[in-house]
Amino acid sequence: MSAFVDALASRLPPGRVSIDPADLLQYGRDWTRDWTPAPSAVTWPRSTAEVVEVLHISRHFGVHVVPSGGRTGLAGGAVARQGEVVLSLERMNRIDPVDELGQTVRVQAGAITQIVQEHCERAGLTWPIDLAAKGSSTIGGNLATNAGGLNVVRYGHARHWVLGLQVVLASGEVVEVGGALEKDNTGLDLRQLFIGSEGTLGIVTEATLKLTRVPGKLDVLLFGVDGLPAALRLLREVRQGAPGLLHAFEYFTDFCASQVVEHRKLPWPLRNRPHAYVLVELEAPDAAVLEFWLGVALGVPGVSDGVVAQSSKQARELWAYREDITASLSAAAQRHGVGAPHKNDVALPLALLEAFCAELDGDWRQTRKAWPLALFGHLGDGNLHLNTLPPAGLPPTDWPSACATADRELFALVRRHGGSISAEHGVGLVKKPYLHLTRSPAEIAVMRAVKAALDPDNFLNPGKIFDP
Amino acid sequence: MKILVSAKRVSDPNARLNISRDGKWIEGDVEYILNPFCENAIECALQLAEAHDGTETVAVGIGDDETARFIRQGALARGVDRGILVEADEAVIDSDVIARIYQGLCERERPDILLLGKQAIDGDSNQVGQLVAEYLGWPQATFASKVEIQGDEVIVQREVDGGLETIALTMPCVITADLRLNEPRYASLAGIMKAKKKPLDELEMDDLDLDSTDPKVRVVAMSTPAGRKAGVMVKTVDELVHKLKTEARVV
Repeated sequence: MSAFVDALASRLPPGRVSIDPADLLQYGRDWTRDWTPAPSAVTWPRSTAEVVEVLHISRHFGVHVVPSGGRTGLAGGAVARQGEVVLSLERMNRIDPVDELGQTVRVQAGAITQIVQEHCERAGLTWPIDLAAKGSSTIGGNLATNAGGLNVVRYGHARHWVLGLQVVLASGEVVEVGGALEKDNTGLDLRQLFIGSEGTLGIVTEATLKLTRVPGKLDVLLFGVDGLPAALRLLREVRQGAPGLLHAFEYFTDFCASQVVEHRKLPWPLRNRPHAYVLVELEAPDAAVLEFWLGVALGVPGVSDGVVAQSSKQARELWAYREDITASLSAAAQRHGVGAPHKNDVALPLALLEAFCAELDGDWRQTRKAWPLALFGHLGDGNLHLNTLPPAGLPPTDWPSACATADRELFALVRRHGGSISAEHGVGLVKKPYLHLTRSPAEIAVMRAVKAALDPDNFLNPGKIFDP
Repeated sequence: MKILVSAKRVSDPNARLNISRDGKWIEGDVEYILNPFCENAIECALQLAEAHDGTETVAVGIGDDETARFIRQGALARGVDRGILVEADEAVIDSDVIARIYQGLCERERPDILLLGKQAIDGDSNQVGQLVAEYLGWPQATFASKVEIQGDEVIVQREVDGGLETIALTMPCVITADLRLNEPRYASLAGIMKAKKKPLDELEMDDLDLDSTDPKVRVVAMSTPAGRKAGVMVKTVDELVHKLKTEARVV
């Protein structure tokens, strides 16, 4: 192995390679903690040519490559556990000037999402993918995972905001796919093939991002609802009747709110504790029109109460009840003696969401009554996050197998309702065993054929999504 | 009991302000919020009203039609019973004129407590409460962090340098609210709906029979803070320590 590291060190400029155990640990994993990182080395190329060089050297020595961005993924897609070399793109972070007329910007894959957004905001434009991890995540990672986030209901996923890519293929060949064209109807859309492929088909080194105007003043409303059916009725009313553009529609149960209230020492947002909450963010044209509509919203059956932020400070305070759920649950998990809550991220067709939740409340929940269950998510997209904590009395050693059983039953339920087992987190290693529950054998066969065509030696990010 | 409480709008500290060409006022679209210290005063008034049956709460705003929206959404929607808008040009009036307006309103409304924010977060003058107490000849408790009514007296805990002071006042009195007084509630949807139907009287300064309406303070110039200077990269810790000692002079 040292011959491999020596080759990297001698053929790349200085400061590009490390075998320091602390680096191997840090760069060998993402936000998941289910696998022990064991890469053979970490490399930080600074140009596309250096990426090509790393691939050539790695291929020569038969070492597989795990591409790596901000490592904030939740599916184990960036985990290196079998002596792979981690190819970190974080030093390739160039951001070109904004093309204000075309509303585009060219960036390297390692540019941090939030820094790209701040760069574009000076021109009144933004790349509208808003993620909790935006301060650490990279554009390359966002594209590899087709990231979603808080405003998918308005803007869609990352794949809607890309015009062109530069990709290094497993062969070492560099291809430009798409340019800076809004319209280019010439054959297969190769951009979309690489976006969401989790680094298994090629390494994205540069991207031309599509931008849009920075939204105007956003109104934030928090409603109390007596359950999921009422939240869905409110969603229907918001989409059909609310003035302006819907920016976010988030759902969370009273249990989620209680975790945030406890962890962040916040007051309860509404006077009476409802069964669940809906946070609505709107870009409304006019305060008077919005005020009129609030009366309509309050008339939706099952909507008990609500509050409206009167200032940007209050808007941030209301968002905290939703955005701080993950951190509050992590703190609770540590009190329960486990590193993190057990997380699931499912999507259902909106029309079947109510039936799905009713069944979830049935057998699945009844056999796990003692499990603290946090249900929240981007309801406007049909996306629910289910986080569970170990129940009191369960030995920590029994927790993983109990979760595995719970997942199998949950995914069967998701499948019966035409849903997806991974709405926005990807497949990686975490959801790989369950891919067949979401995708048909024919679909998986097509995916395997694509992988075999682009990476016949299973050289890039092996073992992720599916085995060849 | 009757409580008169302030609902002043201020420019949003998170928004960017443009100073007018003559350098004396703000121009262009300004995002406004309710003055946070007025929010504390309103919350205090509501809590006192909830604790003492038969208390009427009245919110006062001084400004144009836009100010009326802050009286409705910031005060009436939270539960204040009615509002009064005194029409005035905020670019012209100073703290003294505002104090005179409150004096006129108190002589007209005869409240037991006039509750104000300790200062507006844009002008930062911190003068109105003190001036109006003087003009009315009422006792005052500024920088209140706790307010309770015991019998005929109001017990106020004040934030003073290096600690707290608790004083007892007879009513009528003037109290100005500090940040730690309470945690203001959100305006509820039901409250916003109800607020549309609550009375909001509009007055002009002439209606109040004021002793003086001439401002005593004139804005001479406004300027934005100087931009941040670019940082420097240091190569070693020694260089950093040297610069901290010799250039920044902080260690």
